Amino acid sequence: MSRNLRLENLTKRYGTLTAVDRVNLEIEEGEFICFLGPSGCGKTTVLRMITGFETVTEGKVLFNGKVINHLIPQKREFGIVFQSYALFPNMTVEENIAFGLRMRKMNTQVIAKRVDQMLDLVGLRDWRKLFPAQLSGGQQQRVALVRALAPDPQVLLLDEPLSALDAKIRLRLRAEVKRLQQELKKTMIYVTHDQEEALSIADRVVVMEKGQFRQVGKPIDIYKCPSSDFVADFVGTSNFFKGLRTDDRVQTEQWEFTVAQAGSSYRGKVVLAIRPEKIEVFRPGEPTPHLVLSNLIPGKIDVVTFLGAAVRLVVNMDGEEVISDVIEKVFEQRGFKQGDDILLYFPPESFLVYPEGEGMA
Amino acid sequence: MNRPEIDRFSTVSSSFLSRAITPDRLITGVAFAFFLAILVFFLLYPVVDICRLSFLKEGKLTFENYVAYFSSPRIFRSFTNSIYVSIVTMIITTVTAFFFAYGLTRTTIPGKGIFYTISTLPLIAPTIIQALALILLFGRNGLITRYLLGTDWNIYGATGIIIGECLYCFPNALFILYTTLSAVDTRMDEAAQSLGASALKTFYKVTLPSAKYGIASAAALTFNLTITDFGIPVVIGGNYSVLATEIVSQVFGLQRFDLGATISVILLVPSIGAFAINYYLTRKSYALISGQARPFLQPSRPLKKWGFTLYCGLICLSILIVFATVFLGSFVKTWPYDFSLTLKHFDFPSLGAHAPLWTNFWTSVLPESTFRTMISYKYAPIWTSLLVSIVVAIAGASLTLLAGYIIEKKKPKGEQVLYTLSVLPAAIPGVVMGLGYVLAFNKPYFFIYGTIWIIIINIVICNFTLGVLTSIANLKQIDKSVEEAAVSLGAGPISTFTRVVFPLSRVAFFSTATFFFMRAMTTISAVIFLISATIKLAAIEIIFLDVDGRTASANAMCTVVVVIVVGALLVMRLATGRSALSGMVSSR
Repeated sequence: MSRNLRLENLTKRYGTLTAVDRVNLEIEEGEFICFLGPSGCGKTTVLRMITGFETVTEGKVLFNGKVINHLIPQKREFGIVFQSYALFPNMTVEENIAFGLRMRKMNTQVIAKRVDQMLDLVGLRDWRKLFPAQLSGGQQQRVALVRALAPDPQVLLLDEPLSALDAKIRLRLRAEVKRLQQELKKTMIYVTHDQEEALSIADRVVVMEKGQFRQVGKPIDIYKCPSSDFVADFVGTSNFFKGLRTDDRVQTEQWEFTVAQAGSSYRGKVVLAIRPEKIEVFRPGEPTPHLVLSNLIPGKIDVVTFLGAAVRLVVNMDGEEVISDVIEKVFEQRGFKQGDDILLYFPPESFLVYPEGEGMA
Repeated sequence: MNRPEIDRFSTVSSSFLSRAITPDRLITGVAFAFFLAILVFFLLYPVVDICRLSFLKEGKLTFENYVAYFSSPRIFRSFTNSIYVSIVTMIITTVTAFFFAYGLTRTTIPGKGIFYTISTLPLIAPTIIQALALILLFGRNGLITRYLLGTDWNIYGATGIIIGECLYCFPNALFILYTTLSAVDTRMDEAAQSLGASALKTFYKVTLPSAKYGIASAAALTFNLTITDFGIPVVIGGNYSVLATEIVSQVFGLQRFDLGATISVILLVPSIGAFAINYYLTRKSYALISGQARPFLQPSRPLKKWGFTLYCGLICLSILIVFATVFLGSFVKTWPYDFSLTLKHFDFPSLGAHAPLWTNFWTSVLPESTFRTMISYKYAPIWTSLLVSIVVAIAGASLTLLAGYIIEKKKPKGEQVLYTLSVLPAAIPGVVMGLGYVLAFNKPYFFIYGTIWIIIINIVICNFTLGVLTSIANLKQIDKSVEEAAVSLGAGPISTFTRVVFPLSRVAFFSTATFFFMRAMTTISAVIFLISATIKLAAIEIIFLDVDGRTASANAMCTVVVVIVVGALLVMRLATGRSALSGMVSSR
């Protein structure tokens, strides 16, 4: 049996408050899993139950086929990287890295070798004699990373490891974590509230909301086929419309959209979601061949924001705000500007249809 | 919670026991039980014993003692006297300390560091030092009263007690007010002035209200310190009896343990009340502290600047005069008539104490001489004090660090009880604790009674509060995940504590150790009940020498105590690289 980690009906309650509600997941050895969700959704609590710092109210954590609910944290041999780095301020870089090895009473030479190896892994050989306070945030988190890796843990758990760092360093370190994971083939569980981070780094993403797993899947699937309007809203940006569906028509307050027959089969009260980059933009009077005319709606550009490779237009569509992303080159060619009257086209096959429920829209 | 549902998961409930007994929980549980046990036995039990004695006569519940107390005008006077002295001291100290703190925090006077350091000096000496100095200056043979003015007026009585207590309480009140005033945002003052308020109006409408909790808490603390103090009134009070001295004289003079206990209970009421107010308000005033950086202080106008400089200078001068007087008094032949220098007062009259280790050592090292007698016998109380202080420093700092750790980081069930018991000692007057120890532990089967160990335990318990509060304040600054990191890397509860928590608490540990050392060297009120014919302490000897009429030797002994404390402070400073006094929380 491979060294996999399994969560079975894992539940955490604080009094009457349910922080984590019967979640199930199987994590394969060497897999990189990301728990993604807004703050307070219970993702850190799941992580802490896996580490053993939080007791399990109900359900099981299994490692290697064995229930480990009652194993104390230091017996689990899982490495942890904390948001606040949690380096020991009274020890130098190398003493920090050696700490876990010393606790295992390894011999000095083995420790020294392992520490060197770890320092090389993150390029901090020259900094080994310094104390944490003398390092930058990024360097500190690198030390924390290899400190957790040094005892060769079965699983590495990272609790929002990059959110205390500034944007540039965060990107660099994100790539480094990914590289380390691929090199070491270590099972990693990574908690974050940053959807971009989750999508770019993980093999599989678990989207959490209100203590439950809303969707588990590959990043691309989660982005392309969000299973609910919550996921569509939380992962990436989406425009939402509420309406009543009959066959391939959805009647909203102001418009009647045509949606593709294929895909979702929800009828009745639904929520339509569409990604900004799926909306096409035309000038009034431009030829619009082969378009479903009911999905072509006039609007006025309210705000123009440059995102770099794309330009985001906030369009006022009869009082409704709609976000549309246009490739920068196209934007340039068409010469759009604030205040322009335009036509927005919503391709029927780009609409995602969800039943209207407790979601965001 | 949904109990039945848990039971359905049989794995959870069956292994519940194994979960409950992790090494971490075991150690926490044992430590928790240990602290609870020592606090109940050495803190609650003596106090309860006092209450029992005051309400019981021949096994029956009675208020006879209280009736006796309140109906005897001579004894009852100690109550009104105490209240009077404490209220006057409270007002004077709070007002003077407030303006001192204001000068240090809100004006641009020169020499703030020196002023602050001098103002903390009274903490390093036994409280009696104030009284000794006042007697030397204003007593029957006072330098000023007798020698310079030739008047018959002297300071004995309420006036002496009040002035002495003011000098003694000053740094304690100052700590609180200084913290309060430096924490309140001065931009509020500036905003008020920019809106057209005059300087005086700003002070009344903005500065004063924003510091109100600090002021009230300093006042309550001063009241508590004054009403519980024994050293100053016993030396300078003359016939003016207060509660603390009345307890001692009932017990020692008249062997009336029941009346002593009764007065103790009466003293407990205002002292616990004042402490509770102080404690509650300190919390409140710290809640107002904003973490924001404060803008640069505008230069004060010359009149304000020099006015405050003069004011702070005068207060510091009077504190320095106290120390200088006692020092001088211990080196001159006959104060105030013959000022030629001598060391003869340091050859203390034979005190009859014995400290086997010390005495045997010096007797074997030195040749037979009067000098040998002096060192090996007469200095024995100083040696005992030093030994007690060192043990108290180490034990007190270690125990309070550990207790703070259990309370703040481990939070076992019932942690609130432990916290309350840990904070309680500061509320209980030393004299009461001392009498309680006599009543509770003066029993043949209680083998450590009459040894230095009971003294050590008493001092540790009496000063438990500040140690625990310092420890908790320090531990709050250690991120929880640092400990979790250690645990996740395989460290057990003991390694986590010794390798991570303790190194990060080093500064707090040394500062608490210094505090315990100072208290042990200078404390009088509780241990006066616990010394014996053979075990004597330097600070207590000051009183006995003074009562004996050997004022100069009392001064000399006081000087020795101050020198030892200063020495210890210097050692701590060298060891930790910072002033030990600066790391202390200000709740006594």
